[in-house]
Amino acid sequence: MTQNALNSVTMAGGRSGLMMRLLPMSQQLVVVVLLAIEIIIFSIVGRNFLTVENAFEVIRQNVEIGLLALALTPVIVAGGIDLSVGSLIALCAVVLGMSWQDWGLPLGVAVGVALLIGTAAGLLNGLLITRLGIAPLIVTLGSMSLFKGLAEGLMSGRAPFTHFSTWFNELGNRYLFGFLPEQVLIFVVAAIAFGLLLHRTTIGRTLVAIGFSFDGARYAGVPVCRRLLLVYCLSGLVAGLAAVIYVARVGEANAGAGRGYELYAITAVVLGGTSIFGGRGTVAGTLLALFAIGILRNGLRLADQPAELAGVLVGTLLIVAIIGNKLINQLTDLSAGRTLSIRRERGNPT
Amino acid sequence: MIRKYLREISVGVAYLVLLGLLAFKSPSFFQADNIRQLLVEIVPALVAAVGMTLVIITRQIDISIGSVFSLCAYIAALMAHQGVPVPLAFGTAIGCGALMGALNGLLIATLALPSIVVTLATMVIWQQALAWWKQGAPVASLPAGFHWFGLNQMAGQWIEAIIALLIFLAFATAMRYLAAGRAIYATGSDYEAARLAGIRPKLVTFNVFVLMGILTAAASILNAVIMEKVYPTSGDKLELRVIAAVVVGGVAISGGRGRLIGVLIGVALLGTIGRALIFLHARSEWGATIQGTIILLAVSSDALDRSRR
Repeated sequence: MTQNALNSVTMAGGRSGLMMRLLPMSQQLVVVVLLAIEIIIFSIVGRNFLTVENAFEVIRQNVEIGLLALALTPVIVAGGIDLSVGSLIALCAVVLGMSWQDWGLPLGVAVGVALLIGTAAGLLNGLLITRLGIAPLIVTLGSMSLFKGLAEGLMSGRAPFTHFSTWFNELGNRYLFGFLPEQVLIFVVAAIAFGLLLHRTTIGRTLVAIGFSFDGARYAGVPVCRRLLLVYCLSGLVAGLAAVIYVARVGEANAGAGRGYELYAITAVVLGGTSIFGGRGTVAGTLLALFAIGILRNGLRLADQPAELAGVLVGTLLIVAIIGNKLINQLTDLSAGRTLSIRRERGNPT
Repeated sequence: MIRKYLREISVGVAYLVLLGLLAFKSPSFFQADNIRQLLVEIVPALVAAVGMTLVIITRQIDISIGSVFSLCAYIAALMAHQGVPVPLAFGTAIGCGALMGALNGLLIATLALPSIVVTLATMVIWQQALAWWKQGAPVASLPAGFHWFGLNQMAGQWIEAIIALLIFLAFATAMRYLAAGRAIYATGSDYEAARLAGIRPKLVTFNVFVLMGILTAAASILNAVIMEKVYPTSGDKLELRVIAAVVVGGVAISGGRGRLIGVLIGVALLGTIGRALIFLHARSEWGATIQGTIILLAVSSDALDRSRR
């Protein structure tokens, strides 16, 4: 049954299978060109830009946002969204600090507790979305406020947690072999895991199907609710992991951790060619967009330009990217005579 | 009748319970000057929420209003500071709001781009541009005509409340009785059917975003005149507070459904919690937790109600 379902979903998009394959690629191509231009410009105007150390520094500074973007890719591909991940970093960071300092747990166990809280929070989001059928945008808007509020409430009137063990701080600040930051290894593992999940497993295919057509996937026998629960739980787990790395890197756990990260992560996912309405997107695109944003911020800093310029440019890029995406969509629609994109023309915010 | 207004009634009852608790535990909450301060706090969010209601009923969303709010208030304050007559400064700010709304509307209505992505981008652009321009410096030493519109504090507070109420009543009436208001509902509930019925949904969507910009600018002015100094971050997180209030007020995020009277109660409920916590001697840091819980409870009850029917 499930296999048939998968076939029929593939068939539905199969009339222009080649175009469907090329669509996400076209936006990735734009981002690759963008990356190349950035690297050329910053090698000329920036001091110490084109060095191995700086390349790893770019990644090190972006690991937390990068992890969120990786986890959000399957969520958005499946037609959902998770605004709560930034606040969840704050909550997990506070829980990590409390369970270690107040409840006297060993730091390793405290890390486990933080990851567990993250997963539980993701499960809460997933249950509200799947069992009650509330729009993900609204559920995670509410839980964003809830998690942030819990973090602030737990921290009210007390100093941030500091003085973590040496091994823990090294997780965020030590360089293996003198150049490879430890958390980059975690990021690489996560990137491979999410790439495999989305592109090499039947679960990944069903996520694309759900994002493409929720009802279609359900009638075809896909366990829609279970799949969606999985991606929201993963999103929560990864937010917990990002919180652990954040605390290790900064050496401090407080309620301000992860502020505004969700927007950067969503920007990276969308810039990387994932459709905000679901049904299309790649982990590779997200990674490319992450590099493009990270290098832009790093290069502007090394070229003594204000940090805000990077924000303005990223916002502009995002608009240019979706306009480009739209035009490509229309061109391929015309050439293939498809009417599938009518569903996407409607401006549904969720 | 009860069924139709169930959401408004239940949120209203929740608000009455909160007020009752305050009357019981801390009667000093109902002193006249405290009530006036509360009104003034709620007013900017209410005016912005009126615009957001139109946007959400059209089945769109606008998360750039926080940045538009900051930028408009800052432009008005800067112009007034440099000697431009205050009404002209206010007018320019509202014009800027309309332009920023028109940009969103142009991208969303004519190019059919997803509103959540477009307004995410414009939110970041305006916010960062303002930070780049002024590096967070507030505008101080505003002219006499700016603070409380040049009136004394009490008169200024009443004027604020009256302006907001007039805006609210005008839009509530228009949404219910005017063809333009019904066109907004039609566009949000079925875009294609609205087009076939002779409504121009693109134009409706564009106009709604322009109105959103104008109302955001008006809200930012109503907020700026309260302040001694106008900070370039005055609208931070406004979009979240406003969307939350609109959703709690019973407006469906899937478009085409919702009434402004519910939004009024939603804004009042969420806007009162912060001040109420202080009077109930609770830690104000828990405000966001309670707010999040109310949002989730409100939307969950909605979903349960739907599944029971």
